[in-house]
Amino acid sequence: MSKPEFVYITYIETTAEKLWHALTDGDFTERYWFGHRVASDWKVGSPYRFAKQGAGTIEGKVLISEPPKRLAYTWDPCSADAKRERTSRVTFDLEPRGNVIKLTVTHDNLDEGGKTLRDISGGWPMVIASLKSLLETGHASPADLPSCAAKEKTDA
Amino acid sequence: MRKPEFVYVTYIETTAEKLWEALTSSEFSRRYWFNTELKTDWKVGSPFALVMDGTTTDVGEVLEFDRPRRLSYTFHHVLSEAARKERPTRVVFNLEPHGKLVKLTLTHEDFEDGSVILDGISKGWPAILSSLKSMLESGTALAIPPSALGIEGFA
Repeated sequence: MSKPEFVYITYIETTAEKLWHALTDGDFTERYWFGHRVASDWKVGSPYRFAKQGAGTIEGKVLISEPPKRLAYTWDPCSADAKRERTSRVTFDLEPRGNVIKLTVTHDNLDEGGKTLRDISGGWPMVIASLKSLLETGHASPADLPSCAAKEKTDA
Repeated sequence: MRKPEFVYVTYIETTAEKLWEALTSSEFSRRYWFNTELKTDWKVGSPFALVMDGTTTDVGEVLEFDRPRRLSYTFHHVLSEAARKERPTRVVFNLEPHGKLVKLTLTHEDFEDGSVILDGISKGWPAILSSLKSMLESGTALAIPPSALGIEGFA
């Protein structure tokens, strides 16, 4: 039986450079990632951290940083429940196809039936949908998703 | 062992009515679905066909038409001999409004073990639904080259 992994593919009308910037720039992530700012120097081995209103939400270290093609980092939610789970891994693959970018998000090394698997399976489609909207239309998804608020409550 | 199925969730800034129209009207499907037309009268039990550039690729039957919440049809790929031998699968769209957004959940299920079409539909739906979201939000569907999907025989 294969370990659980979550794979989400989307196509975005943008450039690989703009998409890379959107994935790695705190001002940008704050806009589409429902208030979560990322910070890192994005060197392999360096730490990175997502924070919302100053409070850490996700942290880890950079595993792969090949702008604008491939980014990977470890994923540790800053919540007591999730701390008991193993450290998972997120990989972003950016592939230009004509005038669109194929973005593949692979989240693996997850615990079977764990809280992280449940959270990220609901979370990535929201975050990536909002990212796509921001890059294509100039504004992110309105943050009025009830499940989003519920998730933040459990993360806090 | 979990049954093989494909689930894709996305959020679109639109109304459930507009999304329903886009899922059921050839005028829209041609724009975001690689020039595919939807041939059916949408009555439950009626035949259903997907016609791409004039070629019928998939046939089925309308199972549910609960506007603008839930749409489902059977789906039988007919372009290859191996796919024709498999039993029809099932496609279900669920539309849930959340404020200014609609959560769209596509579930494609009831595949035979070792189905020859599961890989292809897993590559196809993300492209189709990405383009659908772009069309509804920005007014323009995506120009995804068919070869980008990596589906054998679709380029």
